[in-house]
Amino acid sequence: MNESVTILFPIFFPILMGVLLLVGKEPKKKALLSRYTGGVLLLTALMVLGLVWGKEVSFTMFFLTGRLPVYFRVDSIGKVFAFVVTVVWVLAGFFSFEYMKAENAPRRFFGFYLIVYGILIGLDFSGNMITFYMFYEMMTLLSMPLVLHERTKAAIMAGLKYMFYSFCGAYMVLFGLYFVYRYANTLTFTAKGVLDATLTAGNEKLLLVVAFFMLLGFSVKAGMFPFHGWLPVAHPEAPAPASAVLSGVIVKGGVLGIIRVIFYLFGADFLRGTWVQTTMLILSLVTVFMGSMLAYLEKGMKKRLAYSTVSQVSYILFGLFLLDPVSLTGSLLHVVFHAFIKCGLFLCAGAIIFRTGKRRVDELTGIGKEMPVTIWCFTLCSLALIGIPPASGFISKWYLCEGALHTKTAVFSWLGPVILLISALLTAGYLLPVTIKGFFPGEDYDYAALVKKEPVKLMLVPMVILAALAFVLGIVPEGLIRQLSAIAGQLM
Amino acid sequence: MMLLAAILIPIVGGALVMVLPFKKRAHMAVYLEIVVVITSLLVGLIISEGTTGRFPIVKFVNNLSLSLELDGCGMVFAGLVSALWPLAMLYSFEYMKKEKHEKVFFMFYTMTYGITLGIAFAEDMLTMYFFYELLTLVTVPLVLHTLSREAILASRKYLYYSLGGAAFAFIGLVFLMIYGTTVDFTYGGVLTPETLGDKTNTLLLIYVIAFMGFGVKAAICPFNSWLPQAGVAPTPVTALLHAVAVVKAGAFAIIRLTYYSFGTDFLIGTWAQYVVMGVVMFTIVYGCSRALKETHIKRRLAYSTISNLSYILFGVTIMTPLGLAGALTHLVFHAVMKICSFFCAGAIMYQTEKHYVHELDGLGRKMPAVFGVFTVSSLALMGVPGLCGFISKWNLANAAVMSGNVMACFGIGALLISALLTAIYMLSIVIRAFFPPEDFDMESVKEYRDPNWMMLFPLFLFVAAMIIFGLHSAPIVQFFTDISNGVL
Repeated sequence: MNESVTILFPIFFPILMGVLLLVGKEPKKKALLSRYTGGVLLLTALMVLGLVWGKEVSFTMFFLTGRLPVYFRVDSIGKVFAFVVTVVWVLAGFFSFEYMKAENAPRRFFGFYLIVYGILIGLDFSGNMITFYMFYEMMTLLSMPLVLHERTKAAIMAGLKYMFYSFCGAYMVLFGLYFVYRYANTLTFTAKGVLDATLTAGNEKLLLVVAFFMLLGFSVKAGMFPFHGWLPVAHPEAPAPASAVLSGVIVKGGVLGIIRVIFYLFGADFLRGTWVQTTMLILSLVTVFMGSMLAYLEKGMKKRLAYSTVSQVSYILFGLFLLDPVSLTGSLLHVVFHAFIKCGLFLCAGAIIFRTGKRRVDELTGIGKEMPVTIWCFTLCSLALIGIPPASGFISKWYLCEGALHTKTAVFSWLGPVILLISALLTAGYLLPVTIKGFFPGEDYDYAALVKKEPVKLMLVPMVILAALAFVLGIVPEGLIRQLSAIAGQLM
Repeated sequence: MMLLAAILIPIVGGALVMVLPFKKRAHMAVYLEIVVVITSLLVGLIISEGTTGRFPIVKFVNNLSLSLELDGCGMVFAGLVSALWPLAMLYSFEYMKKEKHEKVFFMFYTMTYGITLGIAFAEDMLTMYFFYELLTLVTVPLVLHTLSREAILASRKYLYYSLGGAAFAFIGLVFLMIYGTTVDFTYGGVLTPETLGDKTNTLLLIYVIAFMGFGVKAAICPFNSWLPQAGVAPTPVTALLHAVAVVKAGAFAIIRLTYYSFGTDFLIGTWAQYVVMGVVMFTIVYGCSRALKETHIKRRLAYSTISNLSYILFGVTIMTPLGLAGALTHLVFHAVMKICSFFCAGAIMYQTEKHYVHELDGLGRKMPAVFGVFTVSSLALMGVPGLCGFISKWNLANAAVMSGNVMACFGIGALLISALLTAIYMLSIVIRAFFPPEDFDMESVKEYRDPNWMMLFPLFLFVAAMIIFGLHSAPIVQFFTDISNGVL
């Protein structure tokens, strides 16, 4: 048997196990459910890590029709994403074992949780656009049950909204795909693009429109203005571990799509200096600012975090659209850091809801006294997200700004960093009050009524790990930076 | 000769239902199933032997005759119909238990099979027209079946629309007789510059008129209103006739008209092409939007059919070989998808007596098989990769891009808008069924369950077909490409 077949295992093993869990009988003991899920998660994680540290392999499964193969390849960018997905998925998964005790139908949740994990790995290791698109649609469809899990009217509406926005985006991508297929030799991802110069000659204008549609389509998933509407609705409605992975890694599916379109289909040179680049830069900067501002104004804890995601993911997009190696490195760094940070923040918010039922920021006075470890994790993650050195967010933002100053994109080279800094201030403004009020509740706080509400270790450990990662990666980032800038170098 | 036999067996066999004395219902069921299966096997045999020569039945004056011949296009349509009919028959034995006048129903239902085959096997425009009219007449009693006021109105409308449409198509036939070299179907068309003279514009107008005429059966806008109304017929009729046989006869006739009579060389790039393409694109979006608004399950699916039939016609109006290949792909794949979703709807109505979308809350938990199948067919209709809908949409869009026709590129936009709307109107049913609101009382749906094997077996076969065509479509698409290049 060909050794490249190993690619298929981490994709289809969790999917299969998830399906079995869904169609199987309700287990007699609740504990069995979490053991089963945990086992599958760990096994899959091991397989993914094996691939991530292995050499680049590729595998063609079969042909859909004509020249359209379902084709997987483990390449450098896919490895980064798969690694991030795996860390976040396993940690949030273990967190959820405790959290889901308070929810209905944990079996359904875990089933879909496993399936989506496999699909994300498939998405990351897709070797051509068709395969990518296939997993992208499946991701939308099968992560929807996670969003509407609680089945309240609001949750169901949120799930529908999530789905329709996502499909709208997916079909924009598909629209572009037909044209790329016409003007390229292949849809296989190739660094620096696949367009055939002889075919494209004279059709550049059409192809720019096509590229615009595809980028816009993927940016729906990444929550970019004007398609951000679904994100602050859908993410908070899901149970906390699901919000954590939705905000942490599923939005990154859109980011990966954009990376694939820019650098692997069209090529950075094709888009540099065109109206497409300008428009996308404007949209992403608008989103950075708008997301932070809305988060600042929002009172619901999870919703605030969701708006924060809107803003932070557009940092990443801004870096991508600059089409500069340094800013691309910054974007990739932010992909990694934001995933850990945002997952950590959502898990903290989840722990607070789980123990106290408090969902609004203004109810959290004195929470630091009740749940010190949780709030410490929250604080560390907040610092990292704001970008205070030496926490990780600082590094990625540094690279983003440095990249922006490098480029000759007229106003954006200075406007970009300015907006990023304003947004960082706002980030501080919407995250730090939780810490401050949490630890310093003021004089009229009733210390007598204080009850320790720290959650159990199973919930604490994932949060602590994520907070530690968010901080430590900022202190020793050299290895990661070297890896990512090497990737960025290959693409331009 | 075998072609004629395949047409006559179901017609005669169907008529005999009224005469033969059946002791039990089961006997009739077995008898009909045998008739249908024999016909299908015969058709399969004919197709496997490849194209046949010409077989004249009746000869009129001049060179006019009723004659049969099998070519590639006919193979596709005949093959499709013959694959679906036995399954639909099986399903209807179970479904019709609850209806009256079974014998009449089954007589016409079986006869329709033969006449549809006649359309597929027709060798020239006149023969096709003959069977086309017969099809209308023989299916009216099926719509009329329940004899309710609604059904009477629906069948009257169906009759008027179809006959009116056929009259327009007849005009096309007459002009083809005068200006064409022959009325036989010839790949590439029968019009030549010599016969045409200075009548180019007149003939283009006639093409548009004939297109609209046949388009009535294919439910193009503004001639679509008969189709949702005809949904009052029993589900086996709506599923097989109003999603496949009858409406696709319209699409098939348009393929014959465009590629085999007027010829694409004559039509491509003319105003006539833009007119018909515009109409078709509008219908694609219109059908879906109406489906979105509709809350009756079967009518929603009927509007979806309207939209999807225009996908096929969109492929036809691109007027390139690739376009025809795309059209044929969707002709076949849509048939599988839509008959499957109709059968699901029928199974729901049969088991629960519920007809409206908002009554379906929580049913997915109680009827997992039916709703599982329904989900797959919804995904296929949306065009999720891995299922057959994606392939046909890909072929259509690819043809549009390759044609270099700007309007066709906008047509892709129409296809995708329609796909999005499809996602909304199909998946909202799925979500409702599987994820009822948390305060929903599951006790109220306690007694519902999946139907028996006669209903489920066809459903599972269709799901298998959707997946197989979706994952491994190369051979069948190659077959369509050969046809569209005039090889077969």
